[in-house]
Amino acid sequence: MTEKTNNGRQNIYKPAIMKIVDKRDEAPGVKTLRLEFLDPLDHEMFRLHYRTGMFGLYGIFGEGESTFCVASPETRKEYIECTFRQSGRVTSSLANSEIGDLVTYRGPYGNRFPIEEFYGKNLLFIAGGIALPPTRSVIWSCLDQREKFGKVTIVYGARTVADLVYKHELEEWQNRSDIDLVLTVDPGGESPDWQHHVGFVPTVLEEAAPSPDNCIAVLCGPPIMIKFTLISLRKLGFQEENVYTTLENRMKCGVGKCGRCNVGSVYICKEGPVFTAAEVSKMPQSDL
Amino acid sequence: MSIQEQYRKKAAELLSSGEVKLVIGYGAGTTPDRRRPLFVRSADETSKLHLDAACEANLSGYLVTEGLLADRKKVGIFLGPEGIRSVNILASESQLDPDQIVIMGFNREAESVSALEGSNVRDFPAMLAALKEQAPGAGEQALVERIENMTPEERFTFWQAEFEKCIKCYACRQVCPMCYCRRCIVDNNQPQWVQTSSHTLGNFEWNLVRAFHLSGRCVECGGCDRACPVNIPLRLINRRMAMEVLDAYDHFSGMSPDQETVLASFKKDDPETFIL
Amino acid sequence: MIQILLRDKLDDCITRWHAAGYDVIGPQKNNNVTRFAPVEKASELDLEIILTDRTVKELFFPQTEPMFRYRIGKQAIDTEEYLPPGRKRIIFGSRPCDASAMAIDDPLFGWDFKDTYWFQRRNETVMVTIACTESDDFCMCTSLKLAPDSPLGSDIMLRPVAGGKGWHVELLSERGREAFDRIEALLDDSAAEKEPIANVPKRFDLDVCREWLADPENFESHFWKEISIRCIGCGTCTFLCPTCHCFDFQDEGDTYSGIRRKNWDSCSFALFTMHTSGHNPRSTQSSRWRQRIMHKFNYFPGKFSMNSCSGCGRCSRQCPVDMGITETLQEITKTAK
Repeated sequence: MTEKTNNGRQNIYKPAIMKIVDKRDEAPGVKTLRLEFLDPLDHEMFRLHYRTGMFGLYGIFGEGESTFCVASPETRKEYIECTFRQSGRVTSSLANSEIGDLVTYRGPYGNRFPIEEFYGKNLLFIAGGIALPPTRSVIWSCLDQREKFGKVTIVYGARTVADLVYKHELEEWQNRSDIDLVLTVDPGGESPDWQHHVGFVPTVLEEAAPSPDNCIAVLCGPPIMIKFTLISLRKLGFQEENVYTTLENRMKCGVGKCGRCNVGSVYICKEGPVFTAAEVSKMPQSDL
Repeated sequence: MSIQEQYRKKAAELLSSGEVKLVIGYGAGTTPDRRRPLFVRSADETSKLHLDAACEANLSGYLVTEGLLADRKKVGIFLGPEGIRSVNILASESQLDPDQIVIMGFNREAESVSALEGSNVRDFPAMLAALKEQAPGAGEQALVERIENMTPEERFTFWQAEFEKCIKCYACRQVCPMCYCRRCIVDNNQPQWVQTSSHTLGNFEWNLVRAFHLSGRCVECGGCDRACPVNIPLRLINRRMAMEVLDAYDHFSGMSPDQETVLASFKKDDPETFIL
Repeated sequence: MIQILLRDKLDDCITRWHAAGYDVIGPQKNNNVTRFAPVEKASELDLEIILTDRTVKELFFPQTEPMFRYRIGKQAIDTEEYLPPGRKRIIFGSRPCDASAMAIDDPLFGWDFKDTYWFQRRNETVMVTIACTESDDFCMCTSLKLAPDSPLGSDIMLRPVAGGKGWHVELLSERGREAFDRIEALLDDSAAEKEPIANVPKRFDLDVCREWLADPENFESHFWKEISIRCIGCGTCTFLCPTCHCFDFQDEGDTYSGIRRKNWDSCSFALFTMHTSGHNPRSTQSSRWRQRIMHKFNYFPGKFSMNSCSGCGRCSRQCPVDMGITETLQEITKTAK
C-alpha cells in the first residue's frame, strides 16, 4: 500500500482553494467553470497526479461538495474545467458563482483512461447529453497528440439541439478534416435549421457503422443509452474489452472510506470511474 | 380456544378464502421474551403467528409501505388499541382506505391478551371512547408531572442530558406509523431546515420538530420509546403534547377515520390564546 | 507465575495512569445508557456490563466531528483545521469484540489514503481489554472465528481470575508497554486460576455463508426480500455496530463562515446512495440490507482479508424489529446447505 495524501496535504479531506477564471453556459442548466489553483503547491500536485479520466470533488463551503469528472485533458494542466448540470444544492451554488469567486476542490481521484494503450489505434467516441464532458477530456488528450492515433470518429447525441454541450468545440471538430463528427438529436428535438441526424445514438451509430478493426470505443452517457449502445457496438463487432466507459455514483469522501459508491465489490472512487464494458458486465447489474 | 388459536384460525380462513392477500402479525423472536413482525401469505404458515402480552409493537406502520395497498386487495393485521387508532389517523390523513384493512384486534393486560370484537376500523367506537376517558399510566404520569414541576433551567438540563445521547439513527421515525413522509423534513437540504449533525443542538432540533409533527397525531403506542437504542424517554414528549391537544381541543387522536386533524383543520371558534 | 491485578488496586492503577498523562476511559451506566466515558475512580466503572449499549467506536470515530472551520472572503478562504485533541488515553474494560472491531477498521481508514482523524486517535489510545466470562443470547464472536478472549486490537488483555478478585494481566503490544510499565509494580504474582471464558455457541457457519454470498447468482436471490421484509430502515444496527464506518460530510453555517463536519451515515438510509437526479442504485430496503451483509462478509473480506464484523451482536440485540446479522447468516447457512 502506498501512502497518498490529498495534494500533499496531511488531512485528506481538506480541499484546495480554486478561483473561477471563466464561466460558460453550455445548455439550459448546464455550465462550465474554468478553475485555477490559488496555491502553487496544490497546482504542482495536480500536475503530478492528474491523468484523463480522474474525477474531483468540487464544492462551496457552506453547501458541500459534489463529484464530477475533470473535463479538461491531461495535456492541459494549467487549469481545471468542469461541466455540470445544475440540479442539487452544491451544483446550484456553483452555477450561481461568478468569475473571480473561490470554490473548493479535492482530487484528482480515481483511475484513468490508459491512453498510451490506444496509440496506433482508431478511436470511436460515443457520448450522450451531459456525458460529453468525460468523453471530451479523452478526446482532447488524443487530439493534442493527434499523430499518435488512426481514424477518429465522434458520435454525439442529445435530446434537443439546445441540450448539446460544448457547441463551440463541436463546430471546431466539424471543421477539422482529421475527425469524423456525427451529431444527432432525439426525434422531435431538432430545430428548423438542424442539418445533422435525427434519431437515437444507437441507431445513428449503426448507420455510421464504424469498423471495429483496431478500434477502441469510449462510451459515456445515461444508463439507458449505454445499455442500447452496447448492443449496437456488439452488432458492429466490437469486443467488450475494447469499449471503455465511466461510471458515476454518489460520493462523499472520494477515497474509498465513506462507503456508498460501490457497485458490488467495486468502489467507483478507487477502482473507477473508468472501466471497460467487460468489467462493467461482471458487476451486479441491479446495483448500478 | 385461546385468542392466539382463534386468530391463527381466522388468519388461515382469510388467506385461504382469498379475502386478504397478507396477514401482518407477530412471530417468535430471537429469545422467548421477544416477538417480531411476521408477514404471512398462506394459510399453512399461520401456525407461526403468536399473540400474547409480549406483542408490543404497533404494526400499522407496515400498512403504508409503498405500493402495499395499491392493488386494492385487503390486508389482515393484528392490532392493539393504539394500532387501531393509528389506522384511523392514517385513514383520516388519506394514507390508506380503511376498508382494505381487516383488523384482528386485541387488548393487552398485564400478562395476557383478550380479543376485541370487530374487524373494520369503524367497529371500535366504544373501546376508543373508553380509552379517551381512561387516566394515563400512573408511573408515566408521575414522571411527566415531575418534569412539569421543574424550573425551566432544570427542565432544560434534563432534556439536554437526554438529547445528548441521541445518535440520529432515526429509529423513532422509522418505527412510527405516523412518520410516513416520503421525504422527511430532516432529509431536505434545500433549504436545510434541520441540522443533520448529531450534536446536542442538532438533536434538540430533530426531536422537537418530530414532537410538533406528532402533536394530535401520536397514539402513544410507545414504539419510539422502545426502539430508541439509547433509551431517551421519547414517550414523555408525546404524552405532554397529547395532554396539550386534549386540553385545548378536546382532541384524542385516532377516534375514527373521519376525525378532523388538529393542526391541519380550522374552526372559527378555535381558542386563539396564542395570538396577542 | 502469572501477574495479577487485584480489583482493590484498580484505584492505584488509575492514579498512576493519570500521573503518566493518560486519560482513563471505561464502561459506565449513565442516564439509562451504557457507554464509555472518562473515569477518575475505579468505583465509577461498571465492569459487570457484558457489553455496553454504545461501542468504543465513538471514541475513535465520533458520531459528529468538526473537521474545518471556514471563513469565506472575496480574495481568500481561510480554513482552520480541527484535529483530535492529541491526548494519551487508556480505554479500560473494552470487550474483545469491540477492540477487534477497531483493528478491523484500520485497513479501511488507511487504505491508500490515511484518515488523520482515525489514526491519530488510534495511535494515542491503549486498549486494555477484559476477556468475557459471560455472554448473552446475542453474542456471536465465535461464529466469526473470534473468541471471548481474542487478542485482536487489544494492547493489554485482562482475564478474570476465579472468585472475581482481579485479572491476569498480559501485555500484547508495544503500544501498551508504557501503560503496562506504569502499573507493573502493583501486580501480584499468583497461581490463581483463571475463570473459564464465556461459552458462546456457534450460531451459523461463516464459511458456508461466505461461499453463498460470493456466488453472483445469489445477488438477485428472492432471499434478500424475504429476510428484510420487516426492516424499517433505521440506522440502529449500523450506528451501534463497532465496525460500520460509513460517513457523510455536512457544512453547518452560512455563506461567510461555518464548520464542515464528518457525521455517521448509514447504508440503511434511502438517501445514502440517491443521486441528485433521483436515480437510486439501492432503491429498496432489501437492496440496502443486501449491501450491508455483502459489504461485511463478501466485499470487505475480499479487500482486507477480514470480515467487517466482530460478533458483538448489537445489531440483533438492539434492532427494533428483531432482525440482525445473526438471523440473516443463520438463514443463509440453512439455504446454502
